[in-house]
Amino acid sequence: MSDSDQQQGLRTPKKSAEPPDLLRVCGVTKSFPGVKALKGVDLHLKAGELLAVIGENGAGKSTLMKILAGVQDYDEGEVLVDGLTVRFKGVEDAFDKGIALIHQELNLADNLDVAANIFLGREPRKAGLLDKARMRRESSIFLDRVGLKVSPDQIVSDLTIGHQQMIEIAKALSVDARVLIMDEPTSSLSQHETEQLFKVIKDLASKNVAIVYISHRLSEVRELADRVTVLRDGDNAGELFRQEATHDNMVRLMVGRDISKYYALEPRSHGAVALKVDKVRTIQNPKHALSFEIKSGEIVGVAGLVGAGRTEMLQTLFGVMPALDGSMEVQGHSVVIRSPIQAIQNGLALVPEDRKQQGLVLEMAVRENMSLASLGRDQNKGFLNHRREQDISREMVAEMKIKTPSDLQEVQYLSGGNQQKVVLGKWLAMKPRVLFLDEPTRGIDVGAKQDIYKLMEKLAEEGVAILFVSSEMEEIIGMSDRAIVMHEGKLTGTLMRDELTEESVMQLATGTQTKPISNN
Amino acid sequence: MKKIYGILGVFTVVFILTAIMSPSFLTPYNMERLILRTSLFGIISIGVAFVIITSGIDLSIGSIICLIGCGLPWLLVKMTVPLPLAILIVVTLSLLIGLVHGVLITKLKLQPFVVTLCGLLMYRGITRGFTGDQTQGFGKFFSELRWIGVGKVAVPGVPIDTFGIPVPFFLLLMVAILASIFLNRTIYGRYLLALGCNEQAARYSGINTDRMIILAYIICAAMAGLGGVLFILDGNSAQPVVLGNFYELYAIAAAVLGGCSLRGGQGTIIGVVIGTALMQVLRNMITLVDWIPTHIEYAVIGAVILAGVVADEVVKRISASRRAAASRL
Amino acid sequence: MRKLIILSAALAVVLGGITACGPREQGKSGKPRFAFVTNMPASFWVIAKKGVEKAGNDFGVETSYHMPTGNAAGQKSVLENLLARGVDGIAVSVSDPANQTDILDKIAKKTILVTVDADAPDSERLVYIGVDNYTAGRQCGKLVREALPGGGKVMIFVGSVDQDNGRRRRQGVIDELVGRDSDPSRFDPIDKGVTGNGYEILGTLTDQGDPARAKANAEDTLSRHPDIGCMVGLFAYNPPAIMEALSQANKLNKVKIVAFDEDNDTLQGIIDGTVSGTIVQNPYEYGYKSIEVLVALNKEDTSLIPENKFIDIPARTIVKENVVAFWDDLKIKTGETEAGE
Repeated sequence: MSDSDQQQGLRTPKKSAEPPDLLRVCGVTKSFPGVKALKGVDLHLKAGELLAVIGENGAGKSTLMKILAGVQDYDEGEVLVDGLTVRFKGVEDAFDKGIALIHQELNLADNLDVAANIFLGREPRKAGLLDKARMRRESSIFLDRVGLKVSPDQIVSDLTIGHQQMIEIAKALSVDARVLIMDEPTSSLSQHETEQLFKVIKDLASKNVAIVYISHRLSEVRELADRVTVLRDGDNAGELFRQEATHDNMVRLMVGRDISKYYALEPRSHGAVALKVDKVRTIQNPKHALSFEIKSGEIVGVAGLVGAGRTEMLQTLFGVMPALDGSMEVQGHSVVIRSPIQAIQNGLALVPEDRKQQGLVLEMAVRENMSLASLGRDQNKGFLNHRREQDISREMVAEMKIKTPSDLQEVQYLSGGNQQKVVLGKWLAMKPRVLFLDEPTRGIDVGAKQDIYKLMEKLAEEGVAILFVSSEMEEIIGMSDRAIVMHEGKLTGTLMRDELTEESVMQLATGTQTKPISNN
Repeated sequence: MKKIYGILGVFTVVFILTAIMSPSFLTPYNMERLILRTSLFGIISIGVAFVIITSGIDLSIGSIICLIGCGLPWLLVKMTVPLPLAILIVVTLSLLIGLVHGVLITKLKLQPFVVTLCGLLMYRGITRGFTGDQTQGFGKFFSELRWIGVGKVAVPGVPIDTFGIPVPFFLLLMVAILASIFLNRTIYGRYLLALGCNEQAARYSGINTDRMIILAYIICAAMAGLGGVLFILDGNSAQPVVLGNFYELYAIAAAVLGGCSLRGGQGTIIGVVIGTALMQVLRNMITLVDWIPTHIEYAVIGAVILAGVVADEVVKRISASRRAAASRL
Repeated sequence: MRKLIILSAALAVVLGGITACGPREQGKSGKPRFAFVTNMPASFWVIAKKGVEKAGNDFGVETSYHMPTGNAAGQKSVLENLLARGVDGIAVSVSDPANQTDILDKIAKKTILVTVDADAPDSERLVYIGVDNYTAGRQCGKLVREALPGGGKVMIFVGSVDQDNGRRRRQGVIDELVGRDSDPSRFDPIDKGVTGNGYEILGTLTDQGDPARAKANAEDTLSRHPDIGCMVGLFAYNPPAIMEALSQANKLNKVKIVAFDEDNDTLQGIIDGTVSGTIVQNPYEYGYKSIEVLVALNKEDTSLIPENKFIDIPARTIVKENVVAFWDDLKIKTGETEAGE
């Protein structure tokens, strides 16, 4: 469509004095059975440059990165390193050219120590045996470069996710990576760990390492990137330089239309108390008793760093892991919840953090997932009520704009956003009074995110009390009527909508300040 | 239904090939015997299918067959227990075994493989203990009871001596229909399929997964017990050392051939019955066709199971990539 | 609470199983100890056990009796346990003669070793007590000739032909039927038919010890060869399986059955006339004789050992005329009826 002007931006001026680009991709295509994932993508990168690649899920980011890292082959087009055409036969080929990919899911052997992981597959040997002294010595150098103060002898599984990420980077540096591709590196990092990672990334860039940074988090992109390449539907959608890379510009290129109001939270009046939590203690954080209330029609965000105990709190309230003590009331009635069955009977619902493991039966159809929680209610003396199952599922698919050829499609073939909508639909069919959402928009694209925000608002208007955990600051600030903040298992404070700023949340989340819990 | 195309294809090919290679294959007597054997093995295979659907396994089936199959004549003939009481004991014992398996697996979180492996060893050992390793059988007695195993029902217009439908076939039919209804029409069947794919997601959806898994093991043990009764009623004489040896593997193989995935969550009853029939036709073929050496039987069965599973996987892959394509458009 | 009860019940069952299998008390009296080891568990051996016990009483020695499962490997571990424990003599029915010579020789160095029922001729055993299975097979062949005097089609059913007894019995039947000279080392491939003397031996079907399979084999034979004249079952469970198949096909008395061993159903079949006859070994005598020989050898008395190292306990032919007397005697020996009743 508007390819021509974008191509313009990509073309580097042909000055003979200037060295060729470190990495250059021209018109690369890639097809999978039944789908063309890349339709001729261009990309270029200079040494020491920090390039962000963004796009909705399915835009082709991951495929492109896998091609660059030698994980996958491409069909047509050309990839050039230092101006020479290359075609990687495997990850080792890419390593040889100095290109390393750090996957979203970390690929560490977490039963081994740090040094063993850094040198996995390339262990230095002396007389046929592992040269452990050398491994330890050289690991320290790379650990220093990423600013990580851990011993090379430490077992990886004992480290935090953030530290593990750093080890992946150290590992990449140990193969002399000149291009470091990072796929959603911050998706499971805390704010603090993220900041540390950014420091390392900027430092590497200043030492002439080129970085390709893939993320859904536009605020991060804005902070880091020298340049942003936007992909859409397997094609280049445009390019933005640092000063043009505003939130709105990026979103417009990603979705191909204007999203005027991203968070459109209208003030609402709240009803009576829907859920009262009184001195509940979780197995994971037995030192702190949790007490708070949510009113019907209220959207309460739960902020905090990774490991603050937010997921554990939701799972305890939902009965996945029974509480040690404390009590709960739903709409004024005292309830005992020691299993999800009891939680559901009392009108609670949980959209869990791990959609694929806890939320969905991937091999089952949209319809079967949608009805899973309500089968018991809609049963006909133990028999399935097919009619009702179909009605509910079709209604939900239409209402939530789930993109699927039919509601008999297996959910594993749906995109992340549509999968999340199915999980939501499953609970909406139960008409819950209290809805818990754990990272409801993690890893889903901008369009679907907005659909989910709208849905949360609609439910709140209908009187559902919503408690949602999020690690995205923008989401907490944008969506919460009120936010409660946790730090190391403890509720450190409540912030009303007008008090919500990035600063106020961080102060409570890092435990530098506390503020009494208020339920109004 | 798509799931059974692969196995149905393999079955048809083997059936037609055997008919071409052996003139004895399509005789009424041979068909009658094949139906009988398929019925006996089909019942235990349907039982294990339930456990496999929960992504579990039951290795104790052969030993339960031994325990019940030797126990029934032992109670009736050696102990002269009255028939109703003997049947009550046998039924209770089967259900109890399944219950114990299920409880150990769900509440103590033991692995199904381990629990049922111990069952495999224990039940046969116990049987050999109380029978003193003596051959058990009904002799010439209990011919009314034995009708359930050896009886035939005439087809109109065909002399019963030429061909009759073996009574166990009607039992298989009943079991298969009930199992199909349970699996496809009731919420419990749906729960089983869901928890077989993803137990955690099922639990988060408010399903009492422990209770459903226990139920699956009870069904499996009950079908093995029924199988044990039928095997002894049909064969009349059984040695505790050998009765039911390896039958769990035939049952598991038939279930897998019939489209049950050991990863759980998949399987159709009709597929399992066809899988069982295929195994029986294969064994029959090896005896009937003169140029196939009988001692390579296991090699032939193994190869055909592999071919069946591969065919199934290929069909699945094709339909999966079609679906994936459809949803990306 | 409920979990606890179930758990303890399960535990009780497991423990019960373990103690029941544990080693027996031994060596309390200082009497010589002798062990009798079978090749597999079978009803047949339960009769031998009576002979072992009787001889133990008669000679005032301690006896133990072992029925290993799991073929040669299972038998090997039982033998090794016995060596470790220390016994004055072992009688063993060898599972796999060709491959167990090593362990048998090791035993023969440490204690007195005799073989019974199934021999290992290449080992250092002092004597073999048993039947000549080839000769017994020929006896069985004679029964087939009597059952089918005009010749006809014959199928042989057997657990396996890996074991020496199955292999030699089968060869004996075939050689007798087609009128060959005695040559126990001959072996006809199991799928190949053998014809001669008016008899057509269609082949041999094995079932690996699975009685349901044995029955299926008989049924498949009826499908494949509707004109079959005689079915020969060489392992104890084969004749009852054949009878069941014939009875369900309404062909009892139309197809002759010739049997081996003394399963109750087989003996009843002979009384009823559906089984032409059976060849029985004398397991009671195997048991008794083994202990008698071991006791003598332990006293360094070799007078019982013949030149050819073979003590023949001849097989007997049981037909309608002598079946009742034989069965009554058997019942006394197995303790099913008390002596003198």
